[in-house]
Amino acid sequence: MVYTRKNPALLIIGVIMLVYWLAVSTGMLDGLLKVLKTTGSKPEMIQLSLIFGVVGVVIGLWQWFGSHTEGELDYYSSAIAGGMFILLVAMLVRWYLDPLVRLASTAIGPVIPGKRYIHGVFGLNYIVLGIVAGMIIVNVFKIPDWAQNGVRISRLGLKTGVILLGTLYSLGELVQLGKLSVVLIGFFVLGSVGLVLWMGSRRHISNSMGGVLSAGVGVCGVSAAVAAAPVVQAKSEEIAYTIGTILVFGVICMFLFPVIGHLLGMGYIQFGAWAGTGILNSAQVAGAALAFQPRGIETLKVAEIFNITRVLFLPIIVLWLAVWYVRREAAAGVTVQQVDTSRVIFEKFPLFVLGFILMFALSSTGIFAPAQHYQGRYFDNSKSKLLEEKDLNTLKAESGKLQRDDEKQALARLLESKKTQSINHDTTLRGIVNSGVLSKDANTVLTKAHNAVYHTAKKISAFRKWLAWLFAFGLTGLGMQITMAAMRQAGGQPLVIGGVVGTAKAVFSLIVVLLFVRETI
Amino acid sequence: MTDPKSQDIDVHTTETGFKYHRGSALSIFKSDRHEDFMALIFAAVIAFGVYFFIN
Repeated sequence: MVYTRKNPALLIIGVIMLVYWLAVSTGMLDGLLKVLKTTGSKPEMIQLSLIFGVVGVVIGLWQWFGSHTEGELDYYSSAIAGGMFILLVAMLVRWYLDPLVRLASTAIGPVIPGKRYIHGVFGLNYIVLGIVAGMIIVNVFKIPDWAQNGVRISRLGLKTGVILLGTLYSLGELVQLGKLSVVLIGFFVLGSVGLVLWMGSRRHISNSMGGVLSAGVGVCGVSAAVAAAPVVQAKSEEIAYTIGTILVFGVICMFLFPVIGHLLGMGYIQFGAWAGTGILNSAQVAGAALAFQPRGIETLKVAEIFNITRVLFLPIIVLWLAVWYVRREAAAGVTVQQVDTSRVIFEKFPLFVLGFILMFALSSTGIFAPAQHYQGRYFDNSKSKLLEEKDLNTLKAESGKLQRDDEKQALARLLESKKTQSINHDTTLRGIVNSGVLSKDANTVLTKAHNAVYHTAKKISAFRKWLAWLFAFGLTGLGMQITMAAMRQAGGQPLVIGGVVGTAKAVFSLIVVLLFVRETI
Repeated sequence: MTDPKSQDIDVHTTETGFKYHRGSALSIFKSDRHEDFMALIFAAVIAFGVYFFIN
């Protein structure tokens, strides 16, 4: 079987991207970009459409006119067309559909008090719209034949994104979030695995079905179900039932969690902790976090720490299930074929988690944020970095509103020096803004003081851009894999048990997060 | 006789009708470990690119 399709599809995608590059770089689309308020994305549009346009044309010509024989090169290179198809859809959604939806939503006006617009409440951003676009393409129009193989590389984009996310954590963040996540995840993973096994025995499903379902619902979705399958000797239809159940529940959660999060006024840490605990599958955790905060990375960082902690529980769960399965089968008088549990754990442990830790360790050495990127940050006293007299008067008029001594001192220091003096000074002033004690005008002045000294290292900004595109690519492709047929696989007892335990986990983790998780970590 | 290395052997079909001989409906790679390795390589390439070309 030869996978490469001899047709002009990839070449056409490449030409479309090059035409787009020409139109944007010559300023032909400036008027449209201004209306859509996406002028800031122009450098990104020029860069991406040029690079991928050239890739599409060169490989497209080779695929259309070259001769192809079956083998590794044919198999893997045939995926490029599908990958470019996902990228094209992601570009259209990010640069056009998302701004259009925002414009329309803003034109309609706030739908609930507090200036909340439809797109904000329902999380209609490039992540959600990309997933929905993918689902519509696969279920209504069908993925074109030439793109079918490439659609299966979207998960590679997500895993690469998770590894690179490691560059954005500080040691303090990781320690604080790690402690919180181990406690929360430990309780909910072990609790939900135990609950599925207990419900499974009460409802008389097979031990193998109960085992594989408990791993899927309790740990990290599809990967965990596949990892646990050998130790409980699950049949392929039991794995399919589990994947169907996880998929149905995950898709519902991915769309519902951000809406609930916005309605409850949750902060980034609270929502990230909830999504990372309550949503069953890793991909949907990333989807929900980015849907909640599409133009920032904070929620995703929190959610992924919880998700990775959950993955780290996988060896414990596999061991538990191995012992549990052997005992249950032996009690029923069935002879069990021995499985090498340690080998299963070694072979199935997700390596990308180690990649994330490695990237964090590398980033902790400071190689991606060298000192010269912050030159003059707190020592530049040029006029543009100092607050003006009217700004100082705004702050002076409201200084009496502050109660805490450290905040009073920080403000007095700012009024005296007209600029932020150190990272600790900046942190205290940001705390005043976040507390909402001062007026909007005063907060604007404090934010101006923050922006005068704060900037992200260029390399870190570049990682953020890569992450945004890797997740947009991965999640748009994920949408293209959510078929109605796959969801129909779910059914019967596994769906009932998975639904009950999944809902209980989502509701109880929400209560725990709202009660015990604060935004001050 | 069928070539044991042929991509025609062990062919699966997805619900959308697409046929593949390795990996799963969710991945082109023959195992999760293989996919993780590729993700590590891509991440390393991007990290090196950012390190050397962004200043």
